[in-house]
Amino acid sequence: MSAQKIGVFTCHCGGNISDYVDVQKVCDAAAGTEGCALAKTFLFACSDSSQEEMMEAIRTHQLDGVVIASCSPKLHLETFRVMAHRAGLNPHMYTQVNIREQCSWAHRHDMPKASEKAVRLVRAGIARASLSRPLENIRVETLPAVLVIGAGPAGMRAALALSDLGLTVYVVERAAEVGGRIRALGKLFPSGRPGREIVARLRDQIAGRDNIVVYTNAELVEKSGSAGRFAVKVRAGQETISLKVGAIIAATGFAPYAPQPEEFGFGLPAVVTLPEFNELLTTSRECLRVNGRDVRTIAYVYCVGSRQSEGNQYCSRYCCTAAVHAAIQAHEIDPELNQFHLYRDMRAYGRNELIYEEARQKGSLFLRYDGGEPPTVEREGDGLLVRVRDELSGGDSIEIPADLVVLVTGMVATSNQRLLDVLKLPLSAGGFFNEIHPKLRPVETVIDGVFIAGAAQAPKNLAESVASSMAAAANCSAMLLKGHLDRAPLVAKVSAETCVWCGECVKVCPYAGAIVEVERDGKQVADVVPELCKGCGACAAVCPSAAIELEGYTNAQVTAMIDALAAEVVS
Amino acid sequence: MTRVSPELAARMKKAEGFDANACFHCGTCTALCPLGYKILPRKLFHDAMLGLEDRVRANIPQIFSCLLCRMCEANCPSGVHITDNIRSLRSLINRQVFGLK
Repeated sequence: MSAQKIGVFTCHCGGNISDYVDVQKVCDAAAGTEGCALAKTFLFACSDSSQEEMMEAIRTHQLDGVVIASCSPKLHLETFRVMAHRAGLNPHMYTQVNIREQCSWAHRHDMPKASEKAVRLVRAGIARASLSRPLENIRVETLPAVLVIGAGPAGMRAALALSDLGLTVYVVERAAEVGGRIRALGKLFPSGRPGREIVARLRDQIAGRDNIVVYTNAELVEKSGSAGRFAVKVRAGQETISLKVGAIIAATGFAPYAPQPEEFGFGLPAVVTLPEFNELLTTSRECLRVNGRDVRTIAYVYCVGSRQSEGNQYCSRYCCTAAVHAAIQAHEIDPELNQFHLYRDMRAYGRNELIYEEARQKGSLFLRYDGGEPPTVEREGDGLLVRVRDELSGGDSIEIPADLVVLVTGMVATSNQRLLDVLKLPLSAGGFFNEIHPKLRPVETVIDGVFIAGAAQAPKNLAESVASSMAAAANCSAMLLKGHLDRAPLVAKVSAETCVWCGECVKVCPYAGAIVEVERDGKQVADVVPELCKGCGACAAVCPSAAIELEGYTNAQVTAMIDALAAEVVS
Repeated sequence: MTRVSPELAARMKKAEGFDANACFHCGTCTALCPLGYKILPRKLFHDAMLGLEDRVRANIPQIFSCLLCRMCEANCPSGVHITDNIRSLRSLINRQVFGLK
């Protein structure tokens, strides 16, 4: 053990701990442990007055380290690190021991044993603190530039927002033109403004910016570096361009669901998908004509490609509203049309309910089918015949002769394996990019500095897509405008003397590029790139020559903690 | 198996006094009918709107037995004018089925 002076503070947590753990006994045991220079108890260690008292004790007793036995580090690790820092200690000289969740809450049937376990955990905490050393955050100078992948409405809107904030933006678009999927679409809900108009407006705004560069017919082919400092390569036509950016936004959009042959009659003449129907509406005046025939009756089949029992299990969110909106446009073209909507559940949520209501008022009729018994579409004479078991008519089978069947198709993820290989982003069950937390961190990914926006994350309507792209832009700028990033220093470290470069560490490292091969004193050894390492410790665990240590959890610290845990407790 | 008649559906759309588009199939009307006839306004109107002619014909006795007491209408959460719809249906049936002017 080193000669460090450790202060040990045990918390009652008002009774949350002290009702089932003998706090005084834990405090006394700590006082008798080697290295402990001061042991005290507190009713609430996290209260302002307790923190003031602890800071005073750190200064007066010139403590080298602090252990607080209280709640889960998830709750107060940061609180007490800041407290230690304010008292003049390095924040990494603080160790938290969780005797609430791990002792009092887990073992309320056995107070003596709960107390004994608390003593062992506190001793292990003291052992760790005694061998702790001050660590400084890893500072990364950030680059004031962002790479946006995908020039659909989400990507373009994010580019404009970042440009407003003074950041340089490179937009990479795989297609020959910007605009994404909505470029080909007619009137979009709720405003009824055509997709191409929205695209033209965004394109013109971007053209007026000096700090936005758009590459079309282009792809991201390489990415290295880490949050704040990425080096990327973009292939645009024959050319390969190297760029340096601080952050990346993936706004790669979606693909419309393509029905299987014969799925709801797909492949028969006059059976079309929703995007195809949208195009028909754009080009029709006074009456709809398909294959040279006037359309008198339209049947819409909802949930095509969505909410499948196997396959795409998710709801595509936008299609119910898009279909009723299309039905209103069809009615405006030809008010004599008969329109039958075969739906599973009408999900025109929020204000979109008004669009659904308008469609009903304009004569659209709605029949509800059960997902287990979907409608069928077949040819009948020159037209089509749709059969559906309508739950609103008492579950009877109903035949609808139709001239046109619109399959209300949902959204699927774009499949771009090359981009996935470069970005290494995890995917959700539906194949869309996954966020860290759906509520609290909705546009961040597990790769620091890589954000997601728009329908690349999940089916979204245009308003939702743009909202998420604004969130991604805000996240990027919050990271980049400060000029630097501070990262926790709890990362792996290689001892060049001991390392024999067997490569085991690289095999288990989940973070690409975090361990690299370098030459030191004439031999090949492993080296850790601190900016990329997340401190998971996988490499340290497998290293056969114990050449890798994890800062904050060194082999010496962990061994001392195990010894302390196993030492006898005298009651 | 019942077949939709687009012609009847189109006629119902234009039928004077007939409007059941606001109905969301809650069943309040059915539960409150004091005659307990199988009129089932929500289903009847749905059938009429879809143009399921056979089923409307099969319900003719019930359509003409309605007391027009408005118990259903007074309690309809969507404000469907149920008795107006019944009258409109009677008028339509008189003309189409019984040949009255």
